[in-house]
Amino acid sequence: MDRVTKEKGFPLTRLFFKPESSSMFILIVMLIINIVLQKNFFETKSIVRNINAFAPLILLAMGQAIVIVSGGLDLSSGAALSLFTCVLTTVMKQNEPITGFYALLVTFAIALMVGIVNGIGIGYLRIPPVIVTFATSYIWLGIALFLRPTPGGETVGWFRIFYRARSVEGIPALIRTMDNFIPPALILVLIGCLLWFVVSRTRTGRYVYAVGSNMESAYVSGIDTAKTQMLACVMNAVFIFLAALFFVAQNQSGDARMGGPLTIKSIAAVVVGGISLFGGRGSIYFALVGAMILELVSKIIFFADIPNAYQTLVSGIIVIVAIAGPAYVMFNKEKR
Amino acid sequence: MNTALDKPRLFRYTYEKYRKVIVVFLLIVFVFVFGKIALPTFLSVEQVFMTVKLASFTALFGLCQMIVVAGGGGGLDLSVGYNATLTAVITASLMDGRDERLAIALLIAVAFGIMIGLANGALTSYLRLPPLVVTLAMADILQGIVNAYVAGKAITGRPAPILVSLAAKLTGKFPNILFVLIPTAVLVTLLLNRSKWGQILFGVGANERTAHLSGINVKKVRCIAFVVSGVLASVIGLLLLGNMGIAFKDMGSNYVLPSIAAVVIGGVSLNGGSGNYLGVILGAVFLQALTNMLIAFGLGDAGKWMTFGIILFLVLSFYASNRRSR
Amino acid sequence: MKNEIILEAKGVKKCFGGVVALSNGNLRCRKGRITGLLGANGSGKSTISKIIAGVYKPDGGEIHYNGRIVHYRNPHEARQDGIALVFQNLSLVPDLTVWQNVVLGIERNRGLFLDDEGARLLAREILEELYPGFDVERKVSELSPGEMQVVEVAKALAANPQLLILDEPTASLEQAQVRSLFACMRTLAQKGVAMIFTSHRLWEVMEICDEVTIFRNGEDVATIDFDTEEKDPEKIIGYITGEQRKTVVAVNHGKASGDVLLRVKVKSKTRDKFLDDVSFELHEGEILGIGGLAGQGQEELMYALAGSYPNVRCEIELKGKKIRLHRPQDAIRHSILLVPGDRQREGLFLDHSVYDNAIFPRLGLRGHPLWIPEREYRRMCEEAVRILSIKTPGVDAPVNTLSGGNQQKVVVARWLSFDVQVLLLADPAKGVDVGAKRDLYEYIVKLAREKKIGVLLYASDNEEFVEYCDRLLIMYEGQIVATLQGDEINDDAITAASMRVR
Repeated sequence: MDRVTKEKGFPLTRLFFKPESSSMFILIVMLIINIVLQKNFFETKSIVRNINAFAPLILLAMGQAIVIVSGGLDLSSGAALSLFTCVLTTVMKQNEPITGFYALLVTFAIALMVGIVNGIGIGYLRIPPVIVTFATSYIWLGIALFLRPTPGGETVGWFRIFYRARSVEGIPALIRTMDNFIPPALILVLIGCLLWFVVSRTRTGRYVYAVGSNMESAYVSGIDTAKTQMLACVMNAVFIFLAALFFVAQNQSGDARMGGPLTIKSIAAVVVGGISLFGGRGSIYFALVGAMILELVSKIIFFADIPNAYQTLVSGIIVIVAIAGPAYVMFNKEKR
Repeated sequence: MNTALDKPRLFRYTYEKYRKVIVVFLLIVFVFVFGKIALPTFLSVEQVFMTVKLASFTALFGLCQMIVVAGGGGGLDLSVGYNATLTAVITASLMDGRDERLAIALLIAVAFGIMIGLANGALTSYLRLPPLVVTLAMADILQGIVNAYVAGKAITGRPAPILVSLAAKLTGKFPNILFVLIPTAVLVTLLLNRSKWGQILFGVGANERTAHLSGINVKKVRCIAFVVSGVLASVIGLLLLGNMGIAFKDMGSNYVLPSIAAVVIGGVSLNGGSGNYLGVILGAVFLQALTNMLIAFGLGDAGKWMTFGIILFLVLSFYASNRRSR
Repeated sequence: MKNEIILEAKGVKKCFGGVVALSNGNLRCRKGRITGLLGANGSGKSTISKIIAGVYKPDGGEIHYNGRIVHYRNPHEARQDGIALVFQNLSLVPDLTVWQNVVLGIERNRGLFLDDEGARLLAREILEELYPGFDVERKVSELSPGEMQVVEVAKALAANPQLLILDEPTASLEQAQVRSLFACMRTLAQKGVAMIFTSHRLWEVMEICDEVTIFRNGEDVATIDFDTEEKDPEKIIGYITGEQRKTVVAVNHGKASGDVLLRVKVKSKTRDKFLDDVSFELHEGEILGIGGLAGQGQEELMYALAGSYPNVRCEIELKGKKIRLHRPQDAIRHSILLVPGDRQREGLFLDHSVYDNAIFPRLGLRGHPLWIPEREYRRMCEEAVRILSIKTPGVDAPVNTLSGGNQQKVVVARWLSFDVQVLLLADPAKGVDVGAKRDLYEYIVKLAREKKIGVLLYASDNEEFVEYCDRLLIMYEGQIVATLQGDEINDDAITAASMRVR
């Protein structure tokens, strides 16, 4: 028993070196810097703007986190996001409100398909996840380009409720006033959190961790590992679907190439959130923290007046530092 | 030893080794014949040479990819195309159409390649990060540098004329790029099969534990594989610039997926431990022929990416199910 | 109800890639009784328990459970049917908590969600008996090996088994934990649960079991009921080793007494269960055996000497000169060459040809020319094939087309062109047929005698020690506990020393 206490060491340092608490700490630091830099940070308007800016990456990162915890990795999430925006804007016809519902149904079905195809490759065929999803990312890109060679497309009017509910005609006054404080983007993120909250309390949620932590052990304990990994991929697709709703509502158009850069960002967010790339370890909710950290860092870069052209470069460097940093720490720990 | 009995068995081993190459070759023939039936102009000497010429660049990028893949450990290099773009963009303004500056351009290309490859290799083999994630992030960084470099101004400069004639021109009907590709292929094949470098690389890819216990520094070998890939990609960037005549923002990135697909179709196992450059070249030709056909049928980029993705997925699942049935 | 037969295995057979692990296994378990399984390494005792638990599928024979013939496809089916196997740290998920692991795969729902409170309660209840005061909220990755083993037992018990199989559960336990495990086993027996118990500590088996079945060479050779017969360790050891083995003539003993070639002192940096503190000397021309039960640090010692076991501090003197062994390169440079035990995972490139495999270690040498001198190497390789009489259609045949014995010879052939000083052999005859085995050993003995090299041999089969070793060290839990010399090297003495009976 004394072994355990020895390992814990000085409680405060121990707490700091837990990946969760260090990412929480970084988040707080980033928030403080942002508050200092942005004078009107606490105004409702800018809070809403921030939530709108952060929501897509948060949703993508949470979906990615589920796949990573289950022992996989999804390089196709950005392409899938683009595909969903293209499908939504293709099915919808501006003057027929009913097509909005059709679009939701069709896109959701396609999201399930996307998840199942990735899941078959990762779970049942046992092809290395990175390679499967690399291949599928081009399938999604191809279909998206087929539907929408150039950005554009139509949306129905009420679709704006996923972005700015008050701009929808005939919306009840209550929602209209609520929208001033609670943006739809926040509700989408909450839906995502709720989804995981429910799943995490079922067998599937438990098994996602078990499979990612040690597939062999999970298998001999009677867990259907392939099915579990497939379900993780499907959940990821649902999160991407939620992000797509927001994008289309915000931009009123679909774009086959918009999602590409978000893939690697979502992976970085997961890592920054203290979730192990090797699976089984870390809290899905901390992908949200990781995504917020990355977005806050981009905002700091924005305030630092770095030209727009440097954005990709800087975010790439952040990603590599974010991924290599924790690995470096782990590597040194192992050596000792 | 009973040689009379053993000859057929040894022949079978050789056949097994080249079976995938033969399959790819038949696939290429099939695409051309099918294209010819659908469109009478599809099959001609010019058309075949044109296809081979365009495929050469994919095949060269495929070489980078194959070297990294053969080293095993889930190695893949997604940064090759971006690496080439960066080199091309920077050396274009430097060379500005003058041959005497080619040497400096080459020097810069090699330096870039070493730097990028070293970063990729160190992060993947010494810090044990997943190669795909590292090289994808590297791709982002390189694209970011290009974006920053060209921001707000037109990309100026032209390649040295030597590069243009080497990469773009024809001698009669024969594309000059083949004067680069064919010697490269011969040299690579010799190095892989007859030199210690090739055999050590294959050994590390086939079984890193065995290689380690045999006294090989596995991490170093994998790191060097990434460096070689980086240097090659930069040099290919020069050739690509020669072919296009100008540099632009995403001239190289479109080659990343085809380079991997060519490796897989060419019969190189993504698990590492083997490599056959002839197969990769044929894989590249097949993909190019397929692209031509899709374009001829009026399917542009969309059809190309979709088909490439589906083919890659199918080939992978085919190999996966093969592996499991064994 | 007590003493009613719950499980009966009849004539169970199992082969692994042509190697017979179990030729005719018979076993009977009764409700409320603890059946001990005894046998040497590779006698088939652990194979039969894994077959009963559904880990392996039998190649022949029948298993009757509760009066019907059963065929389980995986351990989970067996578990649901009431047969639970306590794995050796195989089935725990490191990132889940103890209670989550205990109920893993058999979670219950309360309403829509999982019944976590019930699961915690169940885990606490089971563990309270095994290990009072155990914190079920800890993650398994934070546990010590002994604590993990306790959780494994708890996990098996959570499914309410009728038959519990404990395959060497005490190996990583401390004395006190063994006591509480035994107490718990007795309680279970009282409740009518049948148990199968294997352990390499003879006294444990004699203390806890109601009867023992002894396996040798894949067969059960005797069953002793402790109710009617007395507990006689000498008799049991006699059954384990068998009588006929004594006819093996040790021809090579005691011929070597050359100068000291290698002086080894290995100490673990942190207390290592597998390799703790070992020091010995190896003489020129000597074949020194490293014996003992499986997994007592023999293989780790081999790796340490090959420069591939980082967790130890080695002080090595080769011919009186101190050398450092940090990486395999160092060992190879000093001509200390390892033939690893698991040839498929550590010794060969299975898809590559005999030639490619045989020349590979040369390529890593300093100053090797870039272009492989093919003609010279081919000649060398063909020579090696001839000397070791490797049966292959040619040196270009892939290694995976050869039989196990010939594959093993290829592993040895890799070092043939080196100027060997010390040869480390880790179980070189595993899965090798008799003929190839003889070829191999004869060559090695000749090599040792003629070239005055030292050979360190670990084998899972005592017969090889008896036949070929000049001296034998017995290892137990990472330390050398006995040294046998000359005529002392016989099966009985080895077994007794390994099990620490005497």
